[in-house]
Amino acid sequence: MLVFLGCINSTVYAVEVIMHPSVSTPILTTSQLRRIYTMRQIQWADGRRITVYVLPRQHILHLRFSKERLQMFPYQLDRIWNKLTYSGLGVAPITVSTPEDLLDAVRKTPGAIGYVESIKDVEAVNVIKIKS
Amino acid sequence: MLLKLKAKMVNTAMEKFFFIMLSTCCLFSNNIKAVEQDFQFHGFVAQGLIDVDGSDFVNDDASISPELTEIGINASYQLSSNFRLAGQVVYLNGGNRYAEGVRVDYALLDWSVYESLDWQANIYLGRFKNNHWLYSSSRDIPFARPSIILPQSVYFDGFRDIAVGGDGAAVKISHSNDDYGNFDFNFSYGTSPVSDKQAEIILSEFAQGSVKQDSDIQGSIYWQPAYSPWRFGVSYLDSDFSYQANDNGDLFFDGNFSFQFYTINTLYEGENWEFSGEIYQERFTTEGFYHPLHSKDPVGQGMYVQSRYKISNELTFLARYERFYSDRDDKNGERLEEESGGLIPAYFAYHRDTTVGLSYDFSSNLRLRFEYHWFQGAGRLTPVVLPNPQVNDSKNWQLWAVQLMYWF
Repeated sequence: MLVFLGCINSTVYAVEVIMHPSVSTPILTTSQLRRIYTMRQIQWADGRRITVYVLPRQHILHLRFSKERLQMFPYQLDRIWNKLTYSGLGVAPITVSTPEDLLDAVRKTPGAIGYVESIKDVEAVNVIKIKS
Repeated sequence: MLLKLKAKMVNTAMEKFFFIMLSTCCLFSNNIKAVEQDFQFHGFVAQGLIDVDGSDFVNDDASISPELTEIGINASYQLSSNFRLAGQVVYLNGGNRYAEGVRVDYALLDWSVYESLDWQANIYLGRFKNNHWLYSSSRDIPFARPSIILPQSVYFDGFRDIAVGGDGAAVKISHSNDDYGNFDFNFSYGTSPVSDKQAEIILSEFAQGSVKQDSDIQGSIYWQPAYSPWRFGVSYLDSDFSYQANDNGDLFFDGNFSFQFYTINTLYEGENWEFSGEIYQERFTTEGFYHPLHSKDPVGQGMYVQSRYKISNELTFLARYERFYSDRDDKNGERLEEESGGLIPAYFAYHRDTTVGLSYDFSSNLRLRFEYHWFQGAGRLTPVVLPNPQVNDSKNWQLWAVQLMYWF
């Protein structure tokens, strides 16, 4: 039973959400995270602009983040982001090539949010707790 | 002539605005990496082959055609926390489907009027894209629309340049609610310049005068219940056009056209299955044009249902059925044929299309798409007002197309 629960735990929490230390929000709900990633909330509570970073749409970590953290399918995000980007309505998240680039970008950009696979080697960013 | 001149001046002004905007963006972005959150640029290139058998939808000689080119580049620059500049230039070549060439697709100032954690209100000034129908804002974006050729009943290529957007102002208000879901309200007011080629596509090569869009008001509401895979929308359009006959021997007379268009739509997004559909009614009023006392007020109806199935992460299958008739009191076109003294065959009164397609993603931004269409009727072939039954002499016609697309 314990082994079984352990398996679920490692699957469900295999993607961690990180933010630049300038953001003083230790907890987000899943719906807040969805709003941020679907660009329906573009400012933090203190008025600072949110800069959203993602990996390429077919990257395995992006697939897992979409499904496990946002409870959305990557193609749904593509539809929303493409509409914003190519019709002038808004801006989409910034895509970076690798998980290392993503961590680096979040670390260097005030107001940034992103995701990592493991929090073991994560420094100079805040790891955010997500509650459903 | 004056109207054409005015339309050209508007276009030139839009082009200038776009290039000034682009230069401003470039000027402020010498170090793009450092300001990437403020400056973004994206683009796409798509090239295909298309073959139509039995109509002049793409070309007149029924040969396989490379006239399936779409190229676009856009930029967005955040001027301040409330203001953003954005613009896109596209080059399109679709054969007879629309005028070939470079266009300023949109060039606008985005004013973020109000922001909170669950509300957003934006005003867009300049040339904006139509954001009211399910695929209206992505109709020229090869990888963002569901198929190479969209359902012509709603996304008629013959009306593309007028329906794709407008010069004026648009408003978008979004509300996100944990209990009731997401709401989007869109409103726009603006007109589109009507080029000579667009006038020829809609009317006829024999119409020597000028067409002007006098007004265009559109609104739409979308609702997605909280955590639901479904989304629902309604839209409304009311537009007026006028035709000014050429004094030097025009076949036609001064005229006024009025167009109202109402749609309801839905979208379902499951893990492997996707479903969408739009149902609409239109009212197209003509006063004058054919002769000074002419008056006609038909109500047309149309719909399509579409499903996509994700066979794997890379491969997606598409199936769609659509139908349209331009007059609900003459669905099979008998009256049209009778009233034209047999000059216009009955099949010009309707349009039906059955489509199957496949798309394959080689990577996150490279896709190959293939599709086959079986059409019945010539109700969505051009010219619209004065049809050409000599070229479009088949009730049944088919189309296949393949297109490779890359975007960044």
